[in-house]
Formats: sequence, structure tokens, C-alpha cells
Amino acid sequence: MAEEFEPKIVAFLCNWCSYAGADNAGVARLESPPNILPIRVMCSGRVSPEMIIRAFRAGADGVLVLGCHIGDCHYISGNHRTAKRIPLLRKLLAYFGINPERLRLDWVSSAESTKFAKVTKEFVETIRALGPIEREIKG
Amino acid sequence: MAENAEIMEALRDHLAQKLKELDGVIGLRRAVEGTAPYLFRPGDDLSQLALEPRYPLGPIVSLLQRRYPQAHFGVVARGCDLRALAEMAKRNQVDPQRLYVFGVACTAEEAEECHCADPFPRLEKWPQGKTFGQPAPAGSPHPLLAEYPKIPLEERRAFWQKQFAKCIKCYGCRNICPECFCESCALEDPLWVEPGVLAPPFPSFHLIRAMHMATRCVLCRQCELTCPAHIPLTVLYELIRQDVKEMLGYEPGADLEAAPPLPLTLADAVIRE
Repeated sequence: MAEEFEPKIVAFLCNWCSYAGADNAGVARLESPPNILPIRVMCSGRVSPEMIIRAFRAGADGVLVLGCHIGDCHYISGNHRTAKRIPLLRKLLAYFGINPERLRLDWVSSAESTKFAKVTKEFVETIRALGPIEREIKG
Repeated sequence: MAENAEIMEALRDHLAQKLKELDGVIGLRRAVEGTAPYLFRPGDDLSQLALEPRYPLGPIVSLLQRRYPQAHFGVVARGCDLRALAEMAKRNQVDPQRLYVFGVACTAEEAEECHCADPFPRLEKWPQGKTFGQPAPAGSPHPLLAEYPKIPLEERRAFWQKQFAKCIKCYGCRNICPECFCESCALEDPLWVEPGVLAPPFPSFHLIRAMHMATRCVLCRQCELTCPAHIPLTVLYELIRQDVKEMLGYEPGADLEAAPPLPLTLADAVIRE
């Protein structure tokens, strides 16, 4: 019998907003899916396209990039770069034939623990529907 | 393809004139041993000046300007060469103030061969230079571009996996590229592209390179011409170039004064999705 597919998600969380938001979601005992592997980065602007591609190749079925809202960046404009880079990478993934829905960018502040729970839940369901990444990156 | 004799004559005359004041002119020299980039100096045989085969002279300008920080050089540039020089200038690789551009128009046949959208050097914003020849009509776009949006994801993947399986990782596409000048290259970092694996696993090498080309590629198509495996790389770069134009309003190489959008704040580079 085929085992049910559980998505593996790598989430890059910015140290100042989203990681704290995830932390607060835990403190508030909000239910969020166990499929998320959080990686704390100092800024969402630190997340290079290479890191995302590597996560996919290492078996992540989806990659979530969460940062501070525009205007709230600890480094003033770090997330402005993320805001331009991720949509471009999504386009390129689609050109390569990889579903761009597997990469999602969102803004979660440290106070938005409910948003964190909501975004992660939504994303896990999106990826569950898409199936394993192997389908799309192995020949 | 024969070079336009009239253009060549005007170019040689002007070059001979300008060599009196410039420290040299970078162009291609056709000699018995082959055609190669060359720094023409006063007294050199200008009949050896050639325009073909196309070869990116931007990196040579960069090298010589760096080696001779006071020198004032000239360069023979086609439309694509000038676009490449513009992107290099924005990233401090060449200094337009110390460069005289001999802009050469491509012929309609050349434009068609290259699928070139703008086969003419646009010198309006450059400090010094002169163009030779008239703008030819644009070449027809690559046939894959128009149908690409209709191709389903699985077919795209199958197509590129087949193409990239031919890659011998010679780094020719990167080495010839006038916009690839980083001192340390992500494509050589074992974290992102593992060494000793052929062809580079999908989707590492070429996806990383395409992402890096997104706001830089000027569509000179040198990577494609160089590729020993004939991978149609510029289809990818042109697709993402169109997105950069739509989303960020930026066309690499088109305007010497427009700033590359990725490092800018959202106040200076608005995203339209």
C-alpha cells in the first residue's frame, strides 16, 4: 500500500520578524503543521536563489521564505531585494518546468503568530496537492 | 558573410584619424594566424581590422582600462557589444569617460541570424563616439519564445532536461559572457554545484546562471554560439529578460543611465506583477 505523502517544507525565517512570529505561534499554542523545517537567517534578503535551489535538490517539496513586512526590515531595505528576487526565481522555476507554487514568499511580523500558522497550513496543503518534488526535478 | 565595404572604409578612415589622439583602439584583427582581439596603435595595418567572427570586446576593454588607469582607449562595438559595455559600466567594470566608441550597425541578415531586436549601437547617452551604417530592421524573435507560455510544465522540463543532459560543464557560457566578471563564481562553489558530476544535475548550474543573468543579459548570444553542446541558453535568458522588463521596467543594456533594479529599494524600483 502506498504511504501517504507528507510534504517536507524548508522555511527560511528572518531573525527579527518571522522567526519571532513562529516562536510566538508556539508560545500561543497555535496549531501549525509539523512539516516545516525552519532555518533562521538574519534577513530574508540573505536567502539567495542558490539556497532555495539547493533546498529543492536536497528534497524539500516546498520552500517558504518569510520576512518582515516592507518598511519594517531591521536592515531598512533587505526585504526589498527579496521582494524582487523571489518573483523572478518563481518565473524561472516555471520556465524550467518546476511548479512555481512550490516557492512562496510572504511577510510575517513577530506579532503575527496567527498569520504564521495560517500561511504554513495553507502552504502545506498547496504542496500536498502538488506531490513530491522528485516528480519535477528527477528525470 | 562579407563585411560592408562602405562601412569598413568609413570606419578605417575615422579610426586612423582618432588613433592620433587615442592611446589605442580595441578591435578584432584578421591575420594569417587567425582573427583575435587586438589593440590597434598608430602605424598598425588597419586593413586587418575585422568585424567577424563576433567576439565580446567588453572584458578586454575592462582589462586594459584597469591595467592602464590613465589611458583613453577606443573600441569597435556592435549594438550588442555596446549594450554589454553599458551593463559593465554600471557595475564599475569599464569607464565610459575613457572610452571612444566606434559603433557599427549590423546588417539585416546578421540581425536575422541573431534574432536581434536592436542591431544598432545606441550612442545617445555615451560621452564619446560615432556610429557607422544605418539601423537595420530587427531580426525575427526566436520561434520558441512565442509558443513558450502555452507549453505545459512537464514538456518544458522534459525539453530542458534533455538539453542540459548534453552539458559538459566547460564553463564556456560563463567565460565568454561579458557580464560574468565576479571574482568568485557561484557555479564553482561546491555548495551549489557539486564538482565531478556530469552533466550538472538538474536544476543547479543552469538555473543559477539564468537567475544571475536575469537583470544583466543583453542578448549578445555569445554563450549560445560558444556552447559546444548547442544548448539554446538565450531562450531562457530572453524569457526572464521579458519578465524583468514587465515587472521592474528594466532592459539590460538599453540605457546607460538606468540603474540595475535588484539592489534598489522599492521606492526606486517598483514591482509590477
